[in-house]
Amino acid sequence: MQLNPQIDDKLLAHNESVINEIYARCCDNAPNFGVKSDVFRASLDKTAAKYLYTSNPASLTEDECRSFFNQIQAEDLFMAIACSNGNERAWWEFDQQHRGYLERVARHLAKTEIDAQDVIDTVYVELYGTRVVDGERVSKFSTYSGRGSLRGWLRTVIWHSLVDLHRASHDEVSLDEMTENVGEGMAHASFAAAPPGGETEMLDELTRDRYRAVTVKSLSKAFSSLEDHEKLLLLYYHVENLKLREIARLVENEASPLRGWFQRRSATRDGTGRTHESTIMRWLEKSYGRVLQLFKADLKAEHSLTSAEIDICLELATQDLAANDLFKDLAAAT
Amino acid sequence: MLPLCYVFQSEANSEMSMTEEMNPQETQIQSLLGRYLEARETQKRASADGGSHLDHDLLSAFVEGNLSERETSPIVSHLVDCSFCRHVSAELIRLDAAFAENEFAVPHTSNEPARISEVLSGLFSKIFGTSDGAVFAHQVDDENDEQEEPAEEDKEE
Repeated sequence: MQLNPQIDDKLLAHNESVINEIYARCCDNAPNFGVKSDVFRASLDKTAAKYLYTSNPASLTEDECRSFFNQIQAEDLFMAIACSNGNERAWWEFDQQHRGYLERVARHLAKTEIDAQDVIDTVYVELYGTRVVDGERVSKFSTYSGRGSLRGWLRTVIWHSLVDLHRASHDEVSLDEMTENVGEGMAHASFAAAPPGGETEMLDELTRDRYRAVTVKSLSKAFSSLEDHEKLLLLYYHVENLKLREIARLVENEASPLRGWFQRRSATRDGTGRTHESTIMRWLEKSYGRVLQLFKADLKAEHSLTSAEIDICLELATQDLAANDLFKDLAAAT
Repeated sequence: MLPLCYVFQSEANSEMSMTEEMNPQETQIQSLLGRYLEARETQKRASADGGSHLDHDLLSAFVEGNLSERETSPIVSHLVDCSFCRHVSAELIRLDAAFAENEFAVPHTSNEPARISEVLSGLFSKIFGTSDGAVFAHQVDDENDEQEEPAEEDKEE
């Protein structure tokens, strides 16, 4: 099967031989699962088409492909395919290995034991599949690619099922409202603004408005100028209210591209092993530093403000924040 | 210099130590940026056009941090622009972190788990009131069953 015309036959043949090696290993580990080689290969081809062949596939090397296939959670995928096919032994193994975990996740997220049990039941039914297309039962397992762990995937399935359950019992509820009521999302508060201080306004309103407008424009421009991984870090921290330790968990893997980007940006290695909260704090501080630099440069270059005026902009903006009105006309300003 | 009038409720301690190391203007820009991002988010959500979203498989693989740079780049770009997927990914990161801190073995409640067809029959009955409509097309491994049954008999003896 030619999955992508940009991939030459030699590379496809190489990939096929890697897949055959993986298949042989999986069969040795689970000889009773009854997964046929063509089914396994088709599944890995699908995974490669989704993850590997999407961006500039013509530049792929054999090493990259081998590394990709070796990172696949092959045993998890093998079990998922067998379960999808309805193999009794695979289901037995799945139930033994993962039911306890599923129950823990569901109980952690759900408000009541009944909700948790309902979600587990629903997920089992979805995993087995009740929909029949062209005479074949469609199992949820068929959407698992093996790129991440089966447990991580199951966690996502449970989370979505719980949100769906909540949605079904509460008409027209937004995702935000729902997730506030599911799991840890409900525990997170956002900014708390203190009452406005009693600073005397020294500048006339026209000047204030001018500074206010350019401040919002330059801040917006400064944020837009950041690289995507920096933007995401700031959004996770300020908008999604992720804690430093939670962000640290995301970049725990030493091969994490996010970690690599930040290390390259700061021209330092943060050592091996666990990424600590202090590391994330440093990355955030560097991002604030960059935003400040870009913000000042824009105010100076685009709006011809002096250093003193830039200081006034910052002071005024901080005052306005207390009154909660700085970004009220964001759409108009940007 | 105006006093800082914002604190993060959820991470007051971390935030304190962060601001101690930053200069006053960086601290100001931190507060401004935080509020700007919130306002930007509200505006984006109001004008959301319901575009395509990341599926379960992509989200869980991203949250585990196992994807390569080539695979991660488009996902990060999507998460910057799509508040829906970013919000879901943030919830999954929280969940992942919560479970990473509490990893422990879960004892199995049953030594002899019920056959999966029995488990599913029970579930279908519970959900649909009957298991008649369920499609059971298991590949029952007879040889394996034969191996398990004597063990049960041994236990009874």
